[in-house]
Amino acid sequence: MSVVGHPEPAMAESPRKARADAVQAADDRGALGHRFLRAGVTTLIWCVVLFLCVVPLGLVVAISFGHKVEGAGWEWAFTFENYYRFLVGANWPAETTFLYLTQLYWSMRYAVVASVLAVATALPFTYLLTRQSRRAQARWLVFLLTSLSLSEVFIVMGWDIILSNNSGLPVLFSASGLTDWMKATGWFDVLRDWGLASPRNVKFKTSEFATVLTMSYLVWPYAVILLYPALSRLDPSMAEAARTMGARPWTVARTVILPAVRLPLMGTALLLFVFLLGGYVAVTVFADPAKQTTAVSVFEHVRGSTLNAPFGAAQSVILLVTAAAFLVLGQRLSRRSEGAS
Amino acid sequence: MIKMDRRALLKRGGALAGMTAASAAFGTPLIAQTRTLRVGSYGGYFEDSFKEHVFPAFTAATGIEIESITQPNSSDWLVTMQQATAAGSVPSDLSLYARDALIKASRLGGLLKPLNMEMIPAAANLDPYFVFESEEGALGVGAMSWFTSMVINPNEVEAPATWADFWDSSRYESSLGLSKNFNGQLLDITAATFFDGEATFATDEGILAIIAKVAELKPNVALWWSAESQMEQAMKNGDVIGGQYYLDVSNLMASEGFPIRAVFPKEGNPQDYGSWCLSALSDKDAEAAEFINFSSDPATQALMSRRIGTAPLVAKEKTDLTDEEFAFVSGTPAIRPAYDAYLDKETFIKEAWDKMLAGA
Repeated sequence: MSVVGHPEPAMAESPRKARADAVQAADDRGALGHRFLRAGVTTLIWCVVLFLCVVPLGLVVAISFGHKVEGAGWEWAFTFENYYRFLVGANWPAETTFLYLTQLYWSMRYAVVASVLAVATALPFTYLLTRQSRRAQARWLVFLLTSLSLSEVFIVMGWDIILSNNSGLPVLFSASGLTDWMKATGWFDVLRDWGLASPRNVKFKTSEFATVLTMSYLVWPYAVILLYPALSRLDPSMAEAARTMGARPWTVARTVILPAVRLPLMGTALLLFVFLLGGYVAVTVFADPAKQTTAVSVFEHVRGSTLNAPFGAAQSVILLVTAAAFLVLGQRLSRRSEGAS
Repeated sequence: MIKMDRRALLKRGGALAGMTAASAAFGTPLIAQTRTLRVGSYGGYFEDSFKEHVFPAFTAATGIEIESITQPNSSDWLVTMQQATAAGSVPSDLSLYARDALIKASRLGGLLKPLNMEMIPAAANLDPYFVFESEEGALGVGAMSWFTSMVINPNEVEAPATWADFWDSSRYESSLGLSKNFNGQLLDITAATFFDGEATFATDEGILAIIAKVAELKPNVALWWSAESQMEQAMKNGDVIGGQYYLDVSNLMASEGFPIRAVFPKEGNPQDYGSWCLSALSDKDAEAAEFINFSSDPATQALMSRRIGTAPLVAKEKTDLTDEEFAFVSGTPAIRPAYDAYLDKETFIKEAWDKMLAGA
């Protein structure tokens, strides 16, 4: 019995152990498979990033050192002539021009003014929006999100019509007698000096006014959507406490609300700035050639009749570096202000 | 019935023009029965008119089926064809290039195949200027031409007798729409009006003098247009009361009742033209030659003038166009653009022009 019985537990144990081993091995295999899978997915993601981001960017940088063949296309080379041209013009040193730096200046000027304008007007709107009922907020947000589906081309086309002589604001000006009144009072000549009137009527295109207006209109919904989370988290009791202590609404806004949303405010402005830096359609349609931007120049050189891809690429690289510099600067500033508070 | 199916198939192939490689493989057994040719032309109204009037006439005459390929314009298309040629498969056999793009393509090399002029006897109808010869042979034969015309709003101003009137700020302050591109032919107009025309482009000083003269126009310009549609809208909306615009579109707009009138001042208007060019990778030499021969025929030139609004490349006497029909699309004198200068000194002219516009 015992002879028979002794090995019994052993026999009983060994299948259990074997089963445990098998499970363990299967687990190991599973873990190994998991690890392989994870490594595979990571590699795939890196490949996609490499293929979609790094390679095109690398190509742009490589092409920016290329050499333009006059009257034909361009060839691979390693020359800094395109970067020199950006700084001092193609005929340097015989002649110096800051044409391309001026264009970069306009790129930044439009982007700064339009993004600040958008954030400044979106802030009070969003603040009031967060004080509405849930239902109203949802409706507004859905409406704003829908408006994002309008492309830059559509928006520019719309403003083009609104500002046109026979179909837009100028008709309103002349039909209401405002044009004649301005002509009588001398204001019309002031507008002519500003380039906002022809001898016949007011004219809003081409002008810096129309360009900035359209650009800030373009990014305004983004500003609201980006500011919304921060403003809706704001505790209303803080503002109420300040009010009960006798602070006027403006003081409350300045000393309570603004400091609380300073970081998201700066982040939003920076994001819109970078977004607008590459704006193309609004600038080509509404800006005078004297006030056009680097983005327009890039397009003209790459796709225009000169086929000067290297110079276009060099300008893109410079635009990219400028955007990056602003982002770093913005981050530094906000970190410093964080430390100060 | 069988023919219908084949057409439907070919049409579907055409719809997939973006995936040319796929449609080419798809169409191979059909090509074995029918001779075909892929022909590029500028999209929109222009291409539609070709598909409706010119290609069917050619198919009826020769039995060769045409697959129409949309080109955005000639300079962008040159970039596309350059990349396609490098990749080994081109979307089109024949392309339509303006003369500057054609010269550029010939200088780039390896993009175009010389045409067999013996198979194109009708080209003798054209002025030799319109057959572009390089060292390799004839690379392009004129297809049609178009004028950039002086235009005015007849409700606002009298038709000027000379381009020089546009420099008069008492009449045109902030009122004109002119081309923003350095090779938009405003330089040629200015050279013909105030200088010795094309000859002035020979020296850098000459070019700078022309550009300085254009700079005097700036206070009178309300719109520096880069896309055709901008000028069309500006004329319709009354944002400008004059400027430069394509002759055929201006006349078309006028016939639709818009306040625009094309004028031939005493210096004339700039004439540009498009050429048929065969891709270096195409094996449709014979079909292409037949098509170009057909296109060079005075009857086809007249057909294009009537249906598409292009100016004929053959003398008016060779066609059956009436005076009225001819005046709709053409006129005299013609200003010939300084193509060589635009290419040989392109960086110089572009930068000097951009500086002038920027006031930098």
